[in-house]
Amino acid sequence: MSGSVSDLPEAAQRRLTSGAFSSGLSVSDFAACLEMGLTPVGLVQGFCAMQVANYAMGGYTMGGFAQGMSPGGAQGGYVQNYQCPHGMISAEHRMWGQNYQQTWIESAWRDGFNSAYRRMIEEAQALGAHGVLGVVDSVAPLSDTGVVEYHLKGTAVTIVDGPAPSSDVWSTYLAGQRLAKIFEAGYAPVSIIAAVASIRVWASCVTEYLMEGTSFGWSNTGEPTEIDQIVSAQTNARDIARSRARANLHGDALHGASLEVSTREFSRGDLQIESRLRGNRIRRFKDFDPLAVPRPTVRLT
Amino acid sequence: MSDTHASSPSDLKAEVRRAFTPHASATSDAGATTSDLSMDEELNLHSIGWEPVELVSGVSLFSIPYGSWNWGQGEITTASVAHERAFRGAISRLHHEAARAGGHGVVGVHVERVVHSTHVEVALVGTAVRPVGAATTSFDKVFVSDLSARDFTLLMIAGWEPLGLASGASFVFAPRRSMGAVLQQQTQNVELTNFTEAMYSARETAMERMQRAALELDGTGVVEVKVVEGPTRFAMHAVGFVAWGTVVRLAKPEHQMIQPMMVVPLNDPIVAFDAATLA
Repeated sequence: MSGSVSDLPEAAQRRLTSGAFSSGLSVSDFAACLEMGLTPVGLVQGFCAMQVANYAMGGYTMGGFAQGMSPGGAQGGYVQNYQCPHGMISAEHRMWGQNYQQTWIESAWRDGFNSAYRRMIEEAQALGAHGVLGVVDSVAPLSDTGVVEYHLKGTAVTIVDGPAPSSDVWSTYLAGQRLAKIFEAGYAPVSIIAAVASIRVWASCVTEYLMEGTSFGWSNTGEPTEIDQIVSAQTNARDIARSRARANLHGDALHGASLEVSTREFSRGDLQIESRLRGNRIRRFKDFDPLAVPRPTVRLT
Repeated sequence: MSDTHASSPSDLKAEVRRAFTPHASATSDAGATTSDLSMDEELNLHSIGWEPVELVSGVSLFSIPYGSWNWGQGEITTASVAHERAFRGAISRLHHEAARAGGHGVVGVHVERVVHSTHVEVALVGTAVRPVGAATTSFDKVFVSDLSARDFTLLMIAGWEPLGLASGASFVFAPRRSMGAVLQQQTQNVELTNFTEAMYSARETAMERMQRAALELDGTGVVEVKVVEGPTRFAMHAVGFVAWGTVVRLAKPEHQMIQPMMVVPLNDPIVAFDAATLA
């Protein structure tokens, strides 16, 4: 998440320099914000619409990718091949399967999200803000043509009696009391973190039969069997997103993380598994004060 | 639980300014940890000498042979076995991931499970935790718990320890009614005992399996048991019962009584005058 040359529209720059402030905070979050010595200066937003290519290599045919020629492999991502153990059965029989990382989709996602983020931060910079809190992000398809809209918004704030604003604007998904607790615990927000991983699964014959429950005629006696190819794809989708997020921490902590995984089936035996990890990068600014053991309470209400 | 650590608003403003003072940093860095815990939960962990280490996950999918859900009698063994193995497979992967990250346990595990007609999918996500600064341990000594970090803290204060996640599942056919019974019951308000009995059968088997899994972990009980039951959406003539929870055992010689403090919150919503309350 880094800034670059401003591409704010002129109208946005005019609006941001006008008198009244705007904020996306609830009244209670607004009150908590003032209690922390943070003054809201504007609701800042960033948008980016990205065309996402379905197949970057253009090499996809009805027969699938040739082994070792996958787009994932060509771009250095995760690739795993699965061989048919049965031999040549028929033209319809899947002789091999493959899991591959869709690096071009991840790259499009990263570019779209980072552009929207950068534009939101530029608006905050234009307002002379120190940070952006209560960030809300959304990623939604604009149409069926593969266009995806990335939208981030949050409330830009300045610190009362704080240092002069710099270009290094901090951001966090938190607001209100939850943000106050971060400061109380000795952490400062650094930035939001978002990472994505996309794995395409081209099922092998064994995977296909296991998913359809028809494997007993081919490879086993009808016993429930683990579906290795899908497990590997699911595991790698999570691992890649986590390692990407970790690579952006630079020694800081990721707090309040949320890992979401979705599976989309394009056709028989053709799946896409996507994982998204989001959270708050926070940095310790003072030594940890050991807490007393909390005392349980019963609310008399 | 209440937090005994409190700051006045003026302190908080000073802390915020301090947080963004150039070159402000702590002498002891927590390192690049990742977690899905809230700050309250992290503070709770610290108060008993534990810390988050890493966000970990475990996934497993097991096939269910085609035709398993066709009409039959008794338990649908293949579905029950597939569910149990998927659960155990996901837990096992969580053990390994947590141990690799240096965790001694995993708390706040979210359980996502989907039963399809031809396969079962179980995905677990949680935060690996350890006593502050503790050395790594082997994967078979790592516990997995779906208790929140807050409940984990309370459990430890009370002298108990989590041992692992236990689950039990059973899918059972509801016996067919005869054509005569169907016609006879069509115009009556009547209990369909075939479904009731199938549910009881599935319940007993699943609960027994979960409790047996708890005993295998040397536990004395299971807390926070979650139950999912009802007909399966793709086979309405079959009912399923799935239960899972955290296995616990007394770690201290005896249970530590906790005397909760009674508090009257002063931030309740304002109650508007209602003439009906005078009646």
